[in-house]
Amino acid sequence: MKLDALLEALQEAFPFKELNPRPVPVGETFITLPPDCLHRAVGLLVERFDLRHLSAITGEDVGDEIVLLYHFWDNQGLTLRTALRRAEARIATVTDLIPGAALYEREVSEMLGVTFEGHPGPQVLLLPDDWDDEPPSYPLRQRQEEDS
Amino acid sequence: MSRMTIPIGPQHPALKEPVAFLLTVEGERIVESALRIGYVHRGIERIFQRRTYVQSVHLAERVCGICSHVHSTAYCQGVEALLGLEVPPRGLYVRTLLCELERVHSHLLWLGVLASNLGFETIFMYTWRDREIVLDIMEELSGGRVAHAVNVIGGVRVDVAPDQVRSILAQLDELGRQVEAFVGVIEHERTFQARTRGVGYLSADEIRRYCVVGPVARASGVDVDLRRDAPYAVYDRLDFRVVVAHEGDVWARTMVRILETVESLSLCRQLLVGLPDGPLVSRAPRRVPSGEVVSRCEAPRGELLYYVRSDGSDRPARVKVRTPTLTTLITLPKQLQDVNTADAFTVLSGVDLCIACADR
Repeated sequence: MKLDALLEALQEAFPFKELNPRPVPVGETFITLPPDCLHRAVGLLVERFDLRHLSAITGEDVGDEIVLLYHFWDNQGLTLRTALRRAEARIATVTDLIPGAALYEREVSEMLGVTFEGHPGPQVLLLPDDWDDEPPSYPLRQRQEEDS
Repeated sequence: MSRMTIPIGPQHPALKEPVAFLLTVEGERIVESALRIGYVHRGIERIFQRRTYVQSVHLAERVCGICSHVHSTAYCQGVEALLGLEVPPRGLYVRTLLCELERVHSHLLWLGVLASNLGFETIFMYTWRDREIVLDIMEELSGGRVAHAVNVIGGVRVDVAPDQVRSILAQLDELGRQVEAFVGVIEHERTFQARTRGVGYLSADEIRRYCVVGPVARASGVDVDLRRDAPYAVYDRLDFRVVVAHEGDVWARTMVRILETVESLSLCRQLLVGLPDGPLVSRAPRRVPSGEVVSRCEAPRGELLYYVRSDGSDRPARVKVRTPTLTTLITLPKQLQDVNTADAFTVLSGVDLCIACADR
């Protein structure tokens, strides 16, 4: 992976955004992007840099935001970080660019209540079919009673 | 021809773990398939947030009942990176030794399962008999056959005595002779070839599109192995080759795994012979400074990823586990398409599923 060229291309594609590239152990670089840029950024990685190996998507509820981390790998790690508002947790699916992301997105969706718009089969992955409680409960979201 | 839907699992005599397959067949031909996992989902990522870093080592080991050690390795080396803690060389050697013994154990177990599903009972019996050698070695070293509890944050808790080195080397020689015999069977046995050649084919392009890792990827000509490409522990000091095949079928996957077993045995010998003197563990503080880390290891089934985020307390704020099986599951409907019903279990065994890993 040509990290410098890749960062340059991303900056060129999103000239007014602060990408904040920062090294994270072990041999990983984190880049921050707004959610509406993410799909285009992944498209750029796949098409121009042939960076097609998405290792995982990590989701985390950090209070008012749901953070999503897209961990890519090609001889070194590259993670795209984006944050969604908790109340309106929606983002475009990347399965059209990387079919292998389908299960990762289903898991983040059921665990944290993130909607991946355009996902071809957004069923639950690990939870029971009748999990759909009212009001919906997402196992990895923070809960008030645990904070106190 | 009329279609029929056959449900297999989640409880089924031929399955080792709970997973459900729904095969739609026309006569003997599979036209559609679907699968459902989650029957052994234990909420482990959630449990991590309620355990201390020290307790989490044991939790990580319990994600998988086969490759338990590589899980704690990925977790520990992540936390060590957050702490900026250097593990003493002897500790790293013992840690890597267990990783390779575990790979031998996992690949032999898998070969037995595949052989059993093919109706090749002799190979099943022989591989599981010989797997006992490696299980005995691991039990002698750690006290446990499957859950070893060898890793601690900062190193390992068990040592290898000089007389143990000699006895393990002799046992590895014996196992090596058996494994060589299996290589011959897989290469030349015509019945085995007839059942596995061309079955479960995946092209290199499909492997990349579905982000597949490990021996399944290498059997389709995708040359990736984190031990060589992003060396962790002491892999940069060892001499080994990454086995790659190009046929992309179950036979190639078998060849890759058995030749990897030969390489792993050689790695074990190098580790035992080159074992440096010195301490086994560096003392680790209970609290971990704020930060995040992405730790990757080459598990027996391929790339294993741990993401750990610390908020400065003695408990991890978030631990994410992505196991290799999750990447291969997605290819199964493609692999089962147009396959003869009798070959369904060949395809399913060929990818070496670990459902407990996938469900977490």
